[in-house]
Formats: sequence, structure tokens, C-alpha cells
Amino acid sequence: MKRMIPTAAGTAAVVLALTACSSGSGGDEPAAAAEGPVTLTLAGWSLSTTPEFQTLADAYHEENPDVTVELAEYDATEYDTQMIADLAAGSAPDIYVQKNLKNFWTYQDGGQLMDVSDVTEGLDPATGGVDFYEVDGSSYAVPYRQDSWVLYYNKDLFEQAGVAEPDGSWTWDDYATAAEDLTSGLEEAGSDALGTYQHSWQSVVQGFALAQTEGADLTSGDFGYLEPFYDQAVALQDAGAQADFGTVTTNQLTYQAQFGTQQAAMMPMGSWYVATLLAQQESGEADEFEWGMAPIPQADASTTGTDATPVTFGDPTGLGINPALDEEKVAAAKDFLAFAAGEGGAQALAEIGITPALLSDSVVETYFGLDGVPTDELSQFAFATHDTRPENPVDADTAALQNILGDTHSEIMSESSSVADAIEGAESRAAAEVG
Amino acid sequence: MATTAVDDRRSGPPGPLPDAPPGPRRRRPGSRLKRRNTLIGWSFILPNFIGFALLTLIPVVTLFYLSLTEWNVFGGAEWVGLDNFTRLVGDPSYRTALWNTIYYSAVHIPATLVASLCLALLLNRKLRGVAFFRTVAFFPYITSIVAIAVVWNMLFSPEYGPINQFLSFLGVENPPGWTTSADSSMPAVIIVGVWREMGYYMLLLLAGLQTVPPELYEAARVDGAGAWSRFWNVTLPCLRPTMFFVTVILTINSLKVFDLILVMTDGGPGQSTLVLSQFIYAKGFEENQFGYASAVAVTLFFLCITVTIVQFLWNRRRDA
Amino acid sequence: MAAVSPPAAGASATPLRPAQVRARWRRQASRVAGYTALAVAAAGILLPFVWMVISSLKENNQVFTVPLQWIPDPFVWQNYVDIWAKSDMTTWIKNTLVLSVSVTFLQVLTGSFAAYGFSKMRFPGRDALFLLYVATIAVPWQAYMIPQFVMLSNVGLSNTLWSILALQTFSAFGVFLMKQYYESIPESLSEAARIDGMSEYGIWRRIILPLSTPAIASLTLLTFVNTWNDYLGPLIYLRSPDLWTLQLGLQTFVGQYNAEHALIMAGSVISVLPIAVIFLFGQKFFVQGIATAGVKG
Repeated sequence: MKRMIPTAAGTAAVVLALTACSSGSGGDEPAAAAEGPVTLTLAGWSLSTTPEFQTLADAYHEENPDVTVELAEYDATEYDTQMIADLAAGSAPDIYVQKNLKNFWTYQDGGQLMDVSDVTEGLDPATGGVDFYEVDGSSYAVPYRQDSWVLYYNKDLFEQAGVAEPDGSWTWDDYATAAEDLTSGLEEAGSDALGTYQHSWQSVVQGFALAQTEGADLTSGDFGYLEPFYDQAVALQDAGAQADFGTVTTNQLTYQAQFGTQQAAMMPMGSWYVATLLAQQESGEADEFEWGMAPIPQADASTTGTDATPVTFGDPTGLGINPALDEEKVAAAKDFLAFAAGEGGAQALAEIGITPALLSDSVVETYFGLDGVPTDELSQFAFATHDTRPENPVDADTAALQNILGDTHSEIMSESSSVADAIEGAESRAAAEVG
Repeated sequence: MATTAVDDRRSGPPGPLPDAPPGPRRRRPGSRLKRRNTLIGWSFILPNFIGFALLTLIPVVTLFYLSLTEWNVFGGAEWVGLDNFTRLVGDPSYRTALWNTIYYSAVHIPATLVASLCLALLLNRKLRGVAFFRTVAFFPYITSIVAIAVVWNMLFSPEYGPINQFLSFLGVENPPGWTTSADSSMPAVIIVGVWREMGYYMLLLLAGLQTVPPELYEAARVDGAGAWSRFWNVTLPCLRPTMFFVTVILTINSLKVFDLILVMTDGGPGQSTLVLSQFIYAKGFEENQFGYASAVAVTLFFLCITVTIVQFLWNRRRDA
Repeated sequence: MAAVSPPAAGASATPLRPAQVRARWRRQASRVAGYTALAVAAAGILLPFVWMVISSLKENNQVFTVPLQWIPDPFVWQNYVDIWAKSDMTTWIKNTLVLSVSVTFLQVLTGSFAAYGFSKMRFPGRDALFLLYVATIAVPWQAYMIPQFVMLSNVGLSNTLWSILALQTFSAFGVFLMKQYYESIPESLSEAARIDGMSEYGIWRRIILPLSTPAIASLTLLTFVNTWNDYLGPLIYLRSPDLWTLQLGLQTFVGQYNAEHALIMAGSVISVLPIAVIFLFGQKFFVQGIATAGVKG
């Protein structure tokens, strides 16, 4: 195993030099793939319930009949564990998915990703999340999917509580006020639904704090930027405007049920939830109600309003090439990446309700043409217009720091320590354990 | 035939070893027999040992090597000597995990031992329906761990949970927050651990109880020994080999506890239930520091082996 | 030990004195109390399993609710139909069964064989070797699974059922369990056989094995259950869907963002049932004592 890696990396370098100029703009019929049929393998997870991989494979094969993309199935929750094992043993597929940015460093730093800067250069500049995969000026993966966080709200419950719907101008203070008004309004109207639902993930608080605070830097080891966001989250649960953390974790509440069965009037959540909600409303698992998306509330008024670009967060999902793949497949693999991240892939993904990384006008149109997607202007704005920052900025220490902050999250939200003490504890741990 | 007869004296464990002194003349055939015995002994062990050595021993030895390196799984491992271990000393999370692991084990081991022994004694009778009750006692071990986490977390729920409702019925002023509070999350996890594993060890102890010769009970009864004295003077001594086995396995499994804590609390709130196995997994698979993770595993290994050797020696002293 | 005598056996032969009547009454009352306590304990112990069954009959969004809903409304029997129709349950069960049966058989065979060497033979280095066996139990598998995986992959065993077989069969646990049990079998038995000229292999086969039914029964059940329920091993080693085991299949079946908890619980109930049945019918072997095996020490 230890002998194999340098050879593979060496091969990759040679191949790169050879093919650096062959890959052009995405989706075009490439010159290199023309030599007879090629079969590529692509990693995916939970294939029966996650159609995006098959969709990409089929759409690409339709345009390039010579290239067949076969799927290798992985486990959804243990994807990275399985992939690390496979790469170490040399049995990983040709192309594999970067499920989140947290593990990207592991693969890149371990020499398990081919330099795909040439593919990146050919991409539409509007593609979201491209530069998150850059290390020392080179790119090692391309994003095909870029979910970002928006505010979902239940129009029926807003009406019932007599609270004004979000208009795109909200800061977090407006959101907190609305959550409390909704809770009391709904109680008066005889409903047990709460104002909002914030899931138990650390990103629900920390993702926004990192994205929206000026100068916030995860790797600095200075976590003071989290404080105002946590103060508010704790205040919300103390006010009873949202299910408290203990209830959420001990009862394993699912966000799908909380919003889908109208237990909460609002919910900050990633854009992937649109497809889930539609499917659950169709199957009857979720209630039928009018809902919409609003831009996520902002830290201050400077980025609010529909003439500004709201700041939110979200990790892209990317495709990378295993440097150990056969030399003659490299061109085809790169072409597949260009397709998946380009207009062709984006259209195919939008048709099945996935948020593509490339949100061109026609892609957005396709997306909002789906049955059941709310078509009001604010929803379209929230979906298509945002400045999305990474949840996990790519760095050697990101995973370790996020693990520390994960502990801090449960410590604060369970109210085992005060916000300030917990953050101080995280800072001293970061200093002692990382870097 | 004659050789077999001598052979057998040699292999009989009770009593003083026949190897020891019986005079210079027997030395020669003795050493030949010894060799023969060794060969036969190995022939029993070998089929299992080959598989064990290839599949477990070699990777474990590799692990020891890796603990002295910096390794990110993919590339070559870079030798760093004892760096990983010096880093461990200054790592507050490691200390927390070590302390939590010891805390968990120190309470979980005796509690499980007592609970499973009581169960085994209770269900080693000819009661009507005993088959059903034995099956029930084993059920926690086979119930889906997700279901376990959900139901116990619900039972522990601070405000509405039946456990705290019962406690306040008893007049407890401030019932604990259980899994939602850093102070009481470990006791909560331990309770579930005992509940889950008692049936497992009960099964092993039940098998052990069958080796107690009924004649001994009769004799004790004739001598007028009460139930407690019969338990103390007949059951326990006969059960010692099994008790030794159960204690060792229980100790190791408690020090290695992983999946239960993962689904119950995921180490939280804060780091209040972080244990060593979880720390190893996080360092290795989440932070990609396999050398460092291996070093932690090595310390866990030495912790286990020290406790096991103590148990081993203790057992042997009482054997002698 | 066999404390509870069959009710009223032989008691009606002679008229009872009041003291005897009272003693019988007290016995009856304590028995009723004992059974009640057992029944309550059993209900408590089974609660999570009951929840599992109930959840498997709910709609997905009703599985986790506050407060907990104990009666499904409506009863969704469809979950059981769905999990058969949507998943490849038959293949999973077949693979799991093949693995569990062969692992159990090999583990019991090689384990009890090696245990004889460790407990009934004396030779230099025996105890050290045994300690080595036990010591490896102490290393968490996650810590060395990557080197092991790379090794098995290099010989082409990954992504085959053989890998799981190899992984599970040679555990130190079985050797340890059998060894401890053998040590409690009186030495006089094998001694007598040796004098009769029986070889060590013969003693193992004819004397020791038949005497260790309870230990073999518990090792069989525990190995079977562990192989049946193993998740991490198959997760790392088995990639092709046609090789998946029940646990791996069920877990993978859960969508990433859309966990179908009710279906999973239906699957878990299905996966527990075979073990419950085996246990219920096999448990009498755990308590088959040496005396009942027909040999006296």
C-alpha cells in the first residue's frame, strides 16, 4: 500500500501534463473520450433513496454514449469511513463524492485527489462553492451541488397567529421577536405549535455566526464571535419559543416532522429540505399547508432587503478524481466532472429537486417549475440569491476545531455552563489540543 | 501405553506439579515427554492460532508501530518516536476521556456483575415459565440500539419522564436532568449499560452454574448450612472459573465501551460522557490522525492488560 | 437448588396440621409475589422492545413525538409489506444466515479445540500465549481495522463473504470461554480415560465435548447473535449489494436526509425475531448440567 501511493501520484502528474489542455468548457463532446467505450465508476450512497448519482450518470451517458458511468454504493452515514478504507486499500472508485468540506482536507492532504484545476477553469464563474476546493492555487474537486440555508415558514400558521410574514428584511432580532409573537399568538389560537424550530446540530448556531460575523475565523482559535448567537439561541429556548435542546435530543425529534407536521411555524434549514418536504406532502407523511422560503435572517441590517445579497452558509457537495484511476480514463473522468458541475448536470439535478451549484436563470426556472415548489417572489429570491460561506473552511485543523465546538454546542444548549464559560473552555482546549 | 499414563500425570492441574523434583533418573524421559506434550498442546491450539495470528495479532502489532508514527492512512507513516505519547500527557480531552472511562468502568463492572449473578441464580431454577423469563432477560442485548436510546432517553426525560415523576413522587426535591445535564449523564448511561448487558453475562453465568455438583449442595444442606452459606461456600467457589472469565470480559468491554454512549449521548453534554474508544474514533476517522489515535489505543490496551493481569494473578493465587 | 417443588405433590396423603397449612400458604403467597415481581421486571426490561414493535406500526413522522404516543394511529402494517417490497431482504437474510451459521460452527470447533490445549495440557509458554490471546480483546477494533482491511484487501478478500468469516471466526473470546469451562470439569474424568489408553484427541471428543453442552450452547448463541448483529465489520468489508447482511442492508436503506424510522424499526423487529426464537428453544441447553448429561464426576 505504501509503495502504491507515490506511483499513483506520479502517474497522475504525468497524465495531468498530458491532458491539461484537452478539457474545454463543460458538456462539449471531448476529443479525448472518443477512443472506444470507457467505463467510469462513481461513488454514491443510499442509491434507492438518493437519485442524484444515477441522474448524473444517465444524463452524462445520454450525451456521451461511449462513456458508461457505473455506481458504487456506499453507506450514507458512514460514507467517509468506508471511503477512507477503500482508498487506503486501493479499491476506491474512479470518481468519488466530497460529501462535506470537513473531510476534504483529509483526502487532499493525503494525496487522494487529482488536481482538477483545468476543469475548474472551464466552469461558469457563477458556479457556487468552486473556490472552497482550492488549496495553494490548485483545485482538487468541483462542486455539483450547493445547498445553502434559508428560512422555511408556514404561511398558514403565520396567518393563524396573526403575525406578519417575513419580507426579506429580517435580522436575527426580528426573527426572535417573530418567534415569540408566533408562540403566544398560536397559543391564543388554541394551537400547541411553537414559533420556530432549530435543530440540534451545531451548525444551526455556529454556521451563521461564522458566516455573518465580520472577521470571524474558525482557525484563529478565537471563538468570541459565537457569543451573541448563542445568547439568542439560549434566550429563545428559555422563552419557550422553540423546543429546548434536551427535548430535541432525548426525544430524537426530526426536523422533517417538526416542520412537516406543523409543530413549528418557522425553521432555518438547508435547501435540500425542499425536495424532502414535497415528497412527504405527497406521501401524506407531512401535512398539506402553504409554505415559503425567506432569506435567512442577518446579523445586521446592512445585508437585508431584496436589493442586497443575504449572507448564509452551506458546504458544497463536490466530485473529485481518485489519482489511482487508469491513465486512459482521466480525460473521460474530467469531462464527467465538467458536465456534472456545468449546465447539463445542473439542469438534470434541478429536475429532481436538488440544488445545483450552478444556479443559472434557466436552472432556477426548471427548479421552480417543479410541482409544489412555492413560486412567490421571496422564495425565488431566497433560493437563488445569496452569498454562501463555507461551514467548514478548508484547513488542516478544521475537523479538530469543529469537534471541540461540537462539545461546546451541547454544553451551552443543555445549559450545563454559561455561554461565556463554555466558549472560554473551547478556546483553551483549542490552544492546548490543536496546532 | 505406559507413556500415556505418565503423560496424564503431567497434564493434571490439581496438586503439585509432577514435573518438579522426582529424581535425576526420570529426567530424560521427562524432557522427551515434555516435548511430546508441547507438540500435542500446540496441535490443539494451532488451527485457531493461525487464524488469530494472521487476522488479529499482525494488525495489532502494526498498531503498536503506528503509535510511534504520524500517519494519515494514505501515505507512508513517518516515525516520530514517543511524540504521540508526550502529546497525550498534555491533552486535556484525553484526560477527560480517560477519567470518564474509568468512572464508567468502576461503577458499571460491579453493578453488572451483581445484577447478572442475581439473575442467573434466580433463573437457574425449575420455575414455571423460566424459559420465557430467561429469554426476556436476554432481550435487551438483542434489541436495536436505536430503540434503546430512544426509550431510555424518553424515560430519563427531565420534565415528563416517568423516572423523574417517580422521584418527585418519592419527594426528591431536584431530580437530576439525566442525559440532558453534564452532572448526571454518566450515571444515566451506566444504568442503561447495566440493563443492557446483564442478560448477556447472566447467560455465561448460567452455563457456569451447571458445573456445580448437586451433591455438594446436598452435603451442605445435611451439614445445616443456610442459603447464604451455601451460596458463599459452595456456589461461588465452584463458579470461580466462570466468574474469572466474566470479570475479565466485562472489564475489557467496559473499558472499551463505545456504541451505547454514541447513541445515548454522543459523548455530551459537553464532554461529560466522552470515553476513550470514542476519542480514538474521532482522532482517527474524523481528524485523520491515525498515529495519534493508535497511541491512545495503545494506552487503552495497557490499561486493560494491567487490570487483566492483576485479575489473572489473583485468580491463580486463589487456585493454588 | 430446585427449590420450588411441584404444587401440592404428595401433600394430600395425610391430613395437614395447621402449621403445615400456614407454611404452605406462605409458600404460595411468596410464589405469587415472586412471579408478580418477575412479571413487572420483565415488562420493564421489554419496554424498549415494545416501543420498537409499536414504532414499526406507525407512520414515519409519528415515531418521534412529544409526548410519546404508545398506540399507533392508524396501525401501519404496510411498513412490513414495504420493507419486503422496497428492500432486498431475502438476499440480506440469506447472507446473514450463511455467515452466522458458518462462523458459529467454526468458532465453536476451533475455539473448543484450542481451549483444550490451553486448559488440559501443560507446556512452556502456555500461559503467556493465552494472555496474548486475551490481551488482543482489549484493543478496540476501530483502532486497527484499517491495517487489517488493507491486508485482507491485498489478498483479495475484501468485498467477499470470506472476509467476514475470517474476521469473526478466530476470536479469542470463544477460546477463553471454553477454556474456563473446561477448567471446572473434574480432572479425574480425563485421567481415567488416559489410563484406559485414550489419546488426548479422543478425550476431547468423547469426554470433554459432551460434558460442556452449556458452554457450547452459550458460545453458539453469543457468536450467532454477534455475527447476526455485526454492523461495522460488514460496513467496512462488503460493498456489493448482493453481499450485504441484514444489519448493513437495513442501515444503508435509511436515506440520508430522510430517515424512515418506522421502516427501520419494522426491519429491526424482523431481524430480532429469529434470534428470539432460537433463544427460546435453545435455552434449555444452557442449563443442562453435568449431572443430567449422564456422567458423574
